[in-house]
Amino acid sequence: MSGIKPILKKELADHFSSYRFIILFALITMVSMITVYMVGLNIQRELNGVAKPRFVFLMLFTSSGTLFSLVDFVAFFGPLVGLILGFDTINRERNEGTLSKLLSQPIFRDTIINGKFLAGVVVIGVMISSIVLLISGLGLIVVGVIPGVEEVGRILIYLIISIVYVSFWLGIAILFSIIFRSVATSALAALAVWIFFSFFISMGANAIAGALVSDTTQDDPEVVLKQIKIQRALSLASPLILYVDATATIIDPMRKTTRTIIQMGMLEQLSMARFAGPLSLSQSFFVVLPYIVSLLAITIVSFAVSYLIFMRQEIRSI
Amino acid sequence: MKNHFSIRALSILLGALISMSLSVSSTLAADNDTSRKPARLITMALEYPGIEIPAGDDISMDIILHNKGRSDEDVNVAITAKPEGWQALIKTYKYTVTSAHVPSGEDKILTLEAKPPGDPAPGTYELNIEAQTVDGRFKMRKKLSVNIIAKEDSAKESKGVKLTTSFPVLQGPSDAEFEFSIEVDSKLIEDAIFDLFAQGPKNWTINFKPAYESKYISSLRLKGNQSQTVAVEVKPSPLAPAGEYPITVRVSSGDAQGEAQLKIVLTGTYDLEVGTPSDILSLDARQGQPANISMYIKNNGSAANHNISFLSFKPENWKVEFKPERIDVLEPGALQQIEVLVTPYDEALLGDYAVNIKTEGEKATKNTEFRITVKASAAWGWIGIAIIVFVIAGLAGLFRWLGRR
Repeated sequence: MSGIKPILKKELADHFSSYRFIILFALITMVSMITVYMVGLNIQRELNGVAKPRFVFLMLFTSSGTLFSLVDFVAFFGPLVGLILGFDTINRERNEGTLSKLLSQPIFRDTIINGKFLAGVVVIGVMISSIVLLISGLGLIVVGVIPGVEEVGRILIYLIISIVYVSFWLGIAILFSIIFRSVATSALAALAVWIFFSFFISMGANAIAGALVSDTTQDDPEVVLKQIKIQRALSLASPLILYVDATATIIDPMRKTTRTIIQMGMLEQLSMARFAGPLSLSQSFFVVLPYIVSLLAITIVSFAVSYLIFMRQEIRSI
Repeated sequence: MKNHFSIRALSILLGALISMSLSVSSTLAADNDTSRKPARLITMALEYPGIEIPAGDDISMDIILHNKGRSDEDVNVAITAKPEGWQALIKTYKYTVTSAHVPSGEDKILTLEAKPPGDPAPGTYELNIEAQTVDGRFKMRKKLSVNIIAKEDSAKESKGVKLTTSFPVLQGPSDAEFEFSIEVDSKLIEDAIFDLFAQGPKNWTINFKPAYESKYISSLRLKGNQSQTVAVEVKPSPLAPAGEYPITVRVSSGDAQGEAQLKIVLTGTYDLEVGTPSDILSLDARQGQPANISMYIKNNGSAANHNISFLSFKPENWKVEFKPERIDVLEPGALQQIEVLVTPYDEALLGDYAVNIKTEGEKATKNTEFRITVKASAAWGWIGIAIIVFVIAGLAGLFRWLGRR
């Protein structure tokens, strides 16, 4: 990893000076600012009449203003950032013939891919951190609530999960840029994967669950529950679902599980309602730990695969 | 016609005559009444010339002076003879009297008071009362004969007050309040104020109340030969063990005394105290794994408590076990430890749950609410970390294998 520094520097310089990045960043900043402004107005209305509101600051991220909350926005369009940053990483260099020139320098081949991936991660980190900080600052002005230690902790974990999540899509984009020679093909392939995992998986899971469990007795809670279980198990294959479940739970202390539908007995409800309180940060973290681990694992695996393919590819012949 | 006229004239004449004679006779009669009264006449009488009293009682009676004459009189009165050792005098409401003015046609009532000596022998005694007008024209003498009867006969009478109660024995737990109803029956002739006393076990509170009233009294005014119901309120000492407790109620006014024996049978109280040694009623548990909490049961009552059992109010699919499951007998003041094992459901959500444990003893139940916090099991956390370590190790291996090309 000795030569990684110049590559990283060069890549960052490329990213930050490119129009692509500036347009992307401006777009995302604008959308998030509009979102948080809407949310700020909405929170004041929502908290009307609430005696002692808790975790108001976190509502900046979870409360949906008019269209979607920030968490939803990052879940759906965060991947695009990763894809746009990475879809032409390798094949553009190759097409322009700069890759062989680069490799003729005293630089190892793995340094190139490591540096490019790391540069992407840094850019993603800068982008998401600045958005979160921007929203926090704006929230302080609009809502006027200072976040507590626990809230800051939750936002920090949310930030890390988001960076890992977007990095996963960066890894996927880099993988396609290695596999396909054409920039357009790799971009389309990456988009297709994004659309498939983000939208089709949940639809497909619905259809498969409906097919597996006979739909005739819709009223039977057992059957409905079984159907939902199958659907959930299938849709967990989507990084989007992993990300949404993890962040929604970590950022909302009142959410005690990542599951969307839970079966609860009468007595259990009574018993829980007696001490209806938020989970502590550590407990929330334990709930979403499997999700974080999964996201981290698929991110590393996607990078490892592109690393493997890139290292074994014939380059000089082109 | 003429005849007829004459009859009519006659009848008129007659009527006039009769009416005249009537009015004359009436004035004559009035004249006679006053004229029949002597110029001076005065008499004296005793209310009861002969009486019988128990030994120790005093005599009090009226002397009536009656002026039958037409002129007012001043009369000197005196007791001229009395048995030895007796005290006797003539009084009005205010003064000792030696002479009284009696207006014409009116009565004068004086009071004769006589007091036999401390312990007079039974027998007949005589007192002489003499009266004479100031000029000595009328002299009167009256004899009062007093028969004193032996004290033994009058003993009952002089006790004079009787206490009766319909329910002399009451039964209940130590923390109850008891109320006896006592009838105080005065046999005395005159009004009297009776003092009320009660004697009971130490630290007990005994109060007298009028029937159907809530104020406390310590004395009671009764007219002669009247009775009144008095309530006796008894609060046992909270520490009193089960048993029988006598209570004496005494009513007295001078020599008159009455007594009643009451009894309270305490059956003991039933009270259980349930808690934890540390006073902490919250507990951490993990899904599907038993969590243990120690609970103690203390018998705060004064009676032994038998067959104490436990019930739990818990969410579905949870398990709550008790070791031991029941306590056969718990003596007063005794303490017993109970181990409670709470096992949350395997798929219970994280968070706080309320689990209620009801301790059911003899005539006493106690509800204890525990707050069970279901926490995430850390096992999966370690597995997750292992996965991450494994993946990173794989990546490092890849770097080592393919790196530096």
